[in-house]
Amino acid sequence: MEIAAMNPIRSFLHDWVTAFNLVVLSYFFLGNGIYTILMLLSLRATWVHMRRLTYQGLDALRHSPLTPPVTIIIPAWNEQAVIANSVRSALQVNYPDLRVIVVDDGSTDLTLDRLVQSFGMVEMDGSYHPSIPTAPVRAYYINPAIPNLLVVSKVRGGKPDALNAGINLCRSPYFCNLDADCLLERDALLRLMDPIVNSSVETVVSGGIVRILNGCETKNGRVLRVGLPRTWLERFQVVEYLRSFLFGRTGWHLLGGTLIVSGAFAVFHRATVIEAGGFCHDTVTEDMDLVVQLHQWAAENNRKIRMSFTSDPVCWTECPSTFALLANQRRRWQLGLCQTLWKHSEILFGRKYGIVGWLSFPFHAYVEGLGAAVELLGYLLIPLGLFLGLVPPGLLLVFILLGLIYGGFLSVGAVLLEELTYRRYPRLRDLLTLLVFAVFENIGYRQLVLCYRFQGVLKFLAGSSRWEKVAHFGAAAGG
Amino acid sequence: MVNIADPVTQWALMILASVVTGACLLIAVAFFRRWQQVRYFRYVHSLQRKYRPVLAKLLSGVPNPSGIAALRELPLADVELLLDPLFSKRKLPERCLVFLQALCAELGLIEVWQSRLAHGRSTAPKSSGNGAYEDFPDRAVMRYLLRAKSIRNLGSLHHQPSWPVLVNALNDRHQDIQSVALRSLAAVGAPESFPVLRDRLHAVAQDKSLSPPLQGLLAAMVSFDLNCAPALLPSLRHPDRQIRLHATEILQTMVRRKAASQPGFTLTPEPLTPQIVEWLLAGLAVDTCSATRARAAEVIVFLADARATPVLRNLLIDHQWFVRLRTVQALAQLRQAAAPLHMDIRECLRDPHWRVREAAIQTLISLGPEGKHQLYEHFLTSPDSITREQIVEVIERTGLMSALVEEYSAGAKGVVALMVEQLASDAAPLGLSGILRTLNPGIRLKFLERFLPYAEAHMRFLEEKQPDGEIPIGPQHVLEFPLRLAS
Repeated sequence: MEIAAMNPIRSFLHDWVTAFNLVVLSYFFLGNGIYTILMLLSLRATWVHMRRLTYQGLDALRHSPLTPPVTIIIPAWNEQAVIANSVRSALQVNYPDLRVIVVDDGSTDLTLDRLVQSFGMVEMDGSYHPSIPTAPVRAYYINPAIPNLLVVSKVRGGKPDALNAGINLCRSPYFCNLDADCLLERDALLRLMDPIVNSSVETVVSGGIVRILNGCETKNGRVLRVGLPRTWLERFQVVEYLRSFLFGRTGWHLLGGTLIVSGAFAVFHRATVIEAGGFCHDTVTEDMDLVVQLHQWAAENNRKIRMSFTSDPVCWTECPSTFALLANQRRRWQLGLCQTLWKHSEILFGRKYGIVGWLSFPFHAYVEGLGAAVELLGYLLIPLGLFLGLVPPGLLLVFILLGLIYGGFLSVGAVLLEELTYRRYPRLRDLLTLLVFAVFENIGYRQLVLCYRFQGVLKFLAGSSRWEKVAHFGAAAGG
Repeated sequence: MVNIADPVTQWALMILASVVTGACLLIAVAFFRRWQQVRYFRYVHSLQRKYRPVLAKLLSGVPNPSGIAALRELPLADVELLLDPLFSKRKLPERCLVFLQALCAELGLIEVWQSRLAHGRSTAPKSSGNGAYEDFPDRAVMRYLLRAKSIRNLGSLHHQPSWPVLVNALNDRHQDIQSVALRSLAAVGAPESFPVLRDRLHAVAQDKSLSPPLQGLLAAMVSFDLNCAPALLPSLRHPDRQIRLHATEILQTMVRRKAASQPGFTLTPEPLTPQIVEWLLAGLAVDTCSATRARAAEVIVFLADARATPVLRNLLIDHQWFVRLRTVQALAQLRQAAAPLHMDIRECLRDPHWRVREAAIQTLISLGPEGKHQLYEHFLTSPDSITREQIVEVIERTGLMSALVEEYSAGAKGVVALMVEQLASDAAPLGLSGILRTLNPGIRLKFLERFLPYAEAHMRFLEEKQPDGEIPIGPQHVLEFPLRLAS
């Protein structure tokens, strides 16, 4: 009666707003529901994994003659502040047969000079046998006293190109890509290789956890004391990383739907990556693109492969400390996500892709991809609808609950998971701080990141593919 | 305003209440867990502080009956906590191991660990100072962890008589327990357990769904002594190519480990048996599986048998590039085996695959003066610029360049002198200038004194040969180079 009495414009608006409300509610229900499942799965799995660490036998792996050699590839472009310490950290990794290749991707700053000076490198004459085409290599640098380090300078071709050049130069069956602003823990590579070595199915990707370095005390490429960063922007990112890695990645791994492996730190099977075509240049998140590409390649070639995620091998990375840098990073991530999902859209509900095609890919497309637009419009339209009398107040309450309070609950869950398992922040004050930031992460910070993500979606719609560099100021260069 | 009677609102408030309760519960759990952990670590710390001197005395072999009595009074969980850091170490010193074994036997711990594996839980009575203990509660998780730790401890102790229980643990329903058992069997190294592992290898290689994982099994088997190798004969002769491949890989790793620990090691038929030697030369070296041939080559290299040389010669010209690669790499291990094959290795410098060529360069370098001589000769006479580039690259990467410069500065003549002059004048100016920058000033001066007259002569010679009107690239280079050096 009431609706019939409305004028046509109001009736149209009412229908439209009701439909949009359903979309927003489904987004929150789906997102939070899946995240809750992932959290519960991860709680159990991480707990069991922690127990397992007491008899994992890393030493046996370290001393086994059958442990496969690994090459760490560090692509670097204008990383003069952090590069020396990152390479130092990579060289200190405790692994039986390790090589480090640093690919200077045509830096215009002192990256190459810093490497040459810090490690006493001398230019050598070299030959290049590419399996994947790349921009030309300009020079090779070695120091016979550090035989497992090779520095290569090449013409600028972007991060994927630098990684591909590293793959071409690598001789080991596995390679680990490591961002130039990252520090590795000494056992990180062994822990990452453990699921590869002890699996009966061919494991082609193994990812580890990335934690935030800001606020930690470092010396010579090693983290001496773990601490929380000083600014609230960085602290929110600590909680965000915990949630993303401890139960996001772990949960998807348990469900067999790994779609994202951090490009900052992951091990790949070299021959498989070459067969799948290497890192592609057409997206700005080459790591996610490669993982999705590998899923597609395996399904098309009827190959049974496994992708693993382990939550104890730690790589420390510098997070953006200013709004501008955070905006750059999040816009790029969102743009890359949209590009990758669009590029591999045939996986969506594809019969041969299993969990990836039916759960993981649709989830990432709807909640992580489109979600940025849906949620942001929700923040604008639901209060507007309430103001115009088109939305019942109860619905606004549900929206706030699902969007903000439940999000806080999930973040608290991530902090709890950290506390129950790895407890990297040993001080009680740090635990309290993390809990406070977990509760309030969804009020303000989440909306800020949402705006950046929305800009990323807009950039995707505009067809942009520009890489937004996040400058590093040297959290990894301590000591 | 919000209408409480509205079902949507009621529903929302219900969610709110549950979420807030849930979050509070999580926070409470986090704090409780923190408190529990702090209490636990304090307890462990106090325990270790109190008993560390007693343990140190006992592990150094000092008789200490009162210390043993004090440890006996402790509950089993505490004794295990005290000893846990020792078992977490991969290798205990031999002397310490003997006393630790004696201590564990004295305290009845070995029996407890064995009985946990035999029955799933301990059947020992409650502790009353007689060295026997009551075990932990019969909870699934605890049992599983206790089994894993018991297996690990028996392995760390290298307790040979425990091998049957460890073999039994390979049938545990939990794959992790099987993996720990494999590692412990490898640490114990009881030869009686090797055939059991071999049979398991046959089963797993033929059916990948079986456990333990193949890689774990291989890693355990390669840890056994080479004297266990004769038990591999059925696997080496097995009709299944995968089993033959794995068995050859195990044998190859065993041999390589032995060779690494004994410089100049050669394989006689004694540890392998004549049947295995025969089969290596006549069967595995011509196996249909190329990966098997490649691994067999790495064993044959160590054979002190005249028949090995022609077999290796054939493997160096195998149709699969990685067989040639592995063979040429293996020849670097033993100068003795490579001596009659120098010319064949040199032929590999003409191989169509760049990795074989690179391996041949590395092998020739590792074979000492004679190998290097072959390499330099090839470099100086070969018209193939790609191989020459590769030789330069390996020479620079292995640090041989600085050795060459030092030899040249010391007045070396012949091929070495020609090689250095060739490298300096046009083959590897970049690498050489880099080396000169870091070289001892005295040696650098001697090098320049000897090289500059040559460079000038070389420059004049090139200028004379240069046709009119063309840019003299070579002489310019030679001219610039000594100037750069001199500066």
